[in-house]
Amino acid sequence: MNLCKRAFLYSTRKKGKTLTLLAFLLVMATLMLTCFSIQSATETANSNIKKALLGYFTINGKQLEGGITEEVREQILGIDGLSGRYTLRSYSYAEYCDAQGNPLAINTEEAAQIPEGYEHAGKIVANSNSQDDSYFTEGGFELTQGEPITTEGGNQVLIHEKFAQRNGLSVGDTMLLKDVEGKNRTILVTVAGIFTNTKEQDSIGIAPSYDLYDNIVFTDLSTAASLLYGTEDGASVQYGDFYVDNPDELERIMDEVKDIPGVAWEDCTLTRYDNDYQNAKESLEGLQNIVFIAIAVVSVICFLVLALFLTLRLRGRIHETGIYLAMGISKGSVLLQYLLEVVLVAAIALVISFGTSTVISHQIGSSLLSQVTSETYETVDLTGENEAAEESTKDLNLAEIEVAVSGEDYAMVWAFGMSLCVASTALAAYPIMKMKPKSILSQMS
Amino acid sequence: MNLGLRAILYTVRKWKKTLLVFFLLLAITTLVLSGLAIADAQKEQAEKVRGTTGASFTVERNLSTGGWSNGSGGSYSTQEFISEDVIKEIASVDGIAGYDASLIVHEDFFNEDGEALKTERYGFYSYGSYNSEYNAMFLSGRFELVEGSHITEDMKNGLIISRDLADWNGLEIGDTLTGIYYSESNTPAVDMEIVGIFDIVADKDDAVNLYDNASYFDYSNYTFCSMEAAEGLLEGWGDENEGISEAYFYVSDAAQLDSVIEEVQKISSINWNNFNITTNDEVYQNISSALSDTETLITTLIVVITAVSMVLITLILSMSIRSRKRETGILLAVGIAKPAVILQYVLETLLIAAVAFPLAYLSSKQVAGALGTLFGKAAENVIVTPEHFMLVAIVGGILLVAAVLVSSISALRLKPRQILAQME
Repeated sequence: MNLCKRAFLYSTRKKGKTLTLLAFLLVMATLMLTCFSIQSATETANSNIKKALLGYFTINGKQLEGGITEEVREQILGIDGLSGRYTLRSYSYAEYCDAQGNPLAINTEEAAQIPEGYEHAGKIVANSNSQDDSYFTEGGFELTQGEPITTEGGNQVLIHEKFAQRNGLSVGDTMLLKDVEGKNRTILVTVAGIFTNTKEQDSIGIAPSYDLYDNIVFTDLSTAASLLYGTEDGASVQYGDFYVDNPDELERIMDEVKDIPGVAWEDCTLTRYDNDYQNAKESLEGLQNIVFIAIAVVSVICFLVLALFLTLRLRGRIHETGIYLAMGISKGSVLLQYLLEVVLVAAIALVISFGTSTVISHQIGSSLLSQVTSETYETVDLTGENEAAEESTKDLNLAEIEVAVSGEDYAMVWAFGMSLCVASTALAAYPIMKMKPKSILSQMS
Repeated sequence: MNLGLRAILYTVRKWKKTLLVFFLLLAITTLVLSGLAIADAQKEQAEKVRGTTGASFTVERNLSTGGWSNGSGGSYSTQEFISEDVIKEIASVDGIAGYDASLIVHEDFFNEDGEALKTERYGFYSYGSYNSEYNAMFLSGRFELVEGSHITEDMKNGLIISRDLADWNGLEIGDTLTGIYYSESNTPAVDMEIVGIFDIVADKDDAVNLYDNASYFDYSNYTFCSMEAAEGLLEGWGDENEGISEAYFYVSDAAQLDSVIEEVQKISSINWNNFNITTNDEVYQNISSALSDTETLITTLIVVITAVSMVLITLILSMSIRSRKRETGILLAVGIAKPAVILQYVLETLLIAAVAFPLAYLSSKQVAGALGTLFGKAAENVIVTPEHFMLVAIVGGILLVAAVLVSSISALRLKPRQILAQME
């Protein structure tokens, strides 16, 4: 009887033992695979956290002739590592006139001074999304009527409540913006919304007239570009805030930005803003370390347990070994038989484990997913505004967390699992193989 | 021979087998204990991450419930200012990590020789501060302290200046400057010692900054001084329009922000009609879902490890009992009662466990740390507590007994003759 047949027969006849071994190996392999899939999922979760901490850099291109052009912006956005989220900003001053060209009245009472040529002028603020402007996010501005400005073009403005009252303007009315440098740039704009300030301006009496809250007008980027640069299309901007995926890479990305040809980078100021990340960095790494340590502990102990288990199993077969040897079967072929048995069962266990761990991972993944949906649901319930809730999750553009067994991990578990099975079986068999059949059989209980 | 003796004898004579089971139990228990410790460490670490998000709430004067009055600079609110007592009381609430408030003073500075400091633009913007590390300028990263220390509440006359101002005037830490707010009104001169120097990180040239009082001053002319010094500068100025109108409180765990505010609002000595509370936890809101994903994943990992460990222990014990079928048959054949046989097996297992569990407690204390340092990762947070051990010892003990009982069923269902007859 050759050893393959012997191995096969042993495995089928000792069903209980084979099944125990199979169960054991299956559980082990599933554990390892699940651990690995969880680990890679936490890596995704971690990079999501890094992304959500919103590291960004600002390009100040105020001194650039022609500003930051669309072409340059596209090149910047093409750099690897940018999250795709960005804010463009421009600031200027303009004289306000009604559609017929008659100057409109501004608030002059609370101004420290009214510079010459600014008697009917105010500050123009242009932002990719007016709601993201610091006046709205930090300064306490609130839109009371109309819609925010979210498009690059469209010749729209948002005006202050008091300015609207003073000049009898309402949403849908038109007015003119004229540049204050005498370059004869005039743009007809439509009032898209009216805002008010919820916090009092604390610089009343210090600020010049054009900086007073009442006299500020928000507009779109291309209108600002027309005022600043006189360009019609392909709006150039003064400032750009570009968000990155991983704040650790800010330095590299900023260096790459400075390598873009055709821009006088020496006239620009690039500033990095990653304070939130720097604050959280250390504790985040701690969290990642914990996952790593957990996986390391599991791996080491799993291997240990597996080796011990296989040894235990083989020790129960001393008697059998003695008989084989007494029958004249060579030690090599007995060892090979044992190995074959284990490898056979291990192969089956590993194949099944892919299925079981995929099922488990899927379960974990869907429980995470249901968590997210229930959270979103909550927000919807609270605000009653479906759009707003969706926007907040979309805004950060976080990667979906996928708990799945990767091919690499699977291959690794195969390689390690198999070599461990072979090594521990061989090791456990060694002391038995060293003995003579007679001494084996005589020491039996 | 009583069963206790039999159990001991078996354990000792079959020492190799005992040793194997012992090591298996040891390894698996170590795994579970480390897992529990890791789960705890994870919670702590996540709390730390939440603590770094700078979640805070601001207490400010409620201008709508106070009166208004007219003065030289236009109308101003007569609402009460936030007193030091109020601030200290709020700061003493559990869960508050730090606080600051600002009292803005525009003083002139003179060096030790009585000369006015040289600057590029005229005018200083000074924050009177309790704990300057919690000032928004530092927290937002616009300024970075590069030398010396922050102003703390126990400093009487500390001062932090910009690197530029220090360079222009040859100042360094330890130098004393004299501040005078408004000499025409005979406000006192206050001596302040430079305790720190900051670098300007933010780009002041960025027009986004231009909307408040502070924005009309150069960053290099910003200074931070002790609250006491700021109050001293204003002494005798006699304007009711000066005081602390906003105070900022930072919580140690962003997830607890709401409950901390609830606690704060319960302070009865403060008239909450006069003050508003606003929250700021944007950063935490941004990362909270991703952070809770990580937490869930780690918790799941630990649950999986524990569940698998239970299955493994059961498998091992059932295998070890099943290999003793023959012995069971003989024991029954010599007239030993079935319960006595089972009890002997249980006793043997518990004997091993009694040694393995405490050892696992010791080894698990080492394992996580050793593995961590081996790969250059600190594992200080992973601590195995006696509670973990108790949990594992009790649950583990029950599990062991149950496993032995379940695996003995098949052997004990049969008559001794049947058992011995089916042996090979």
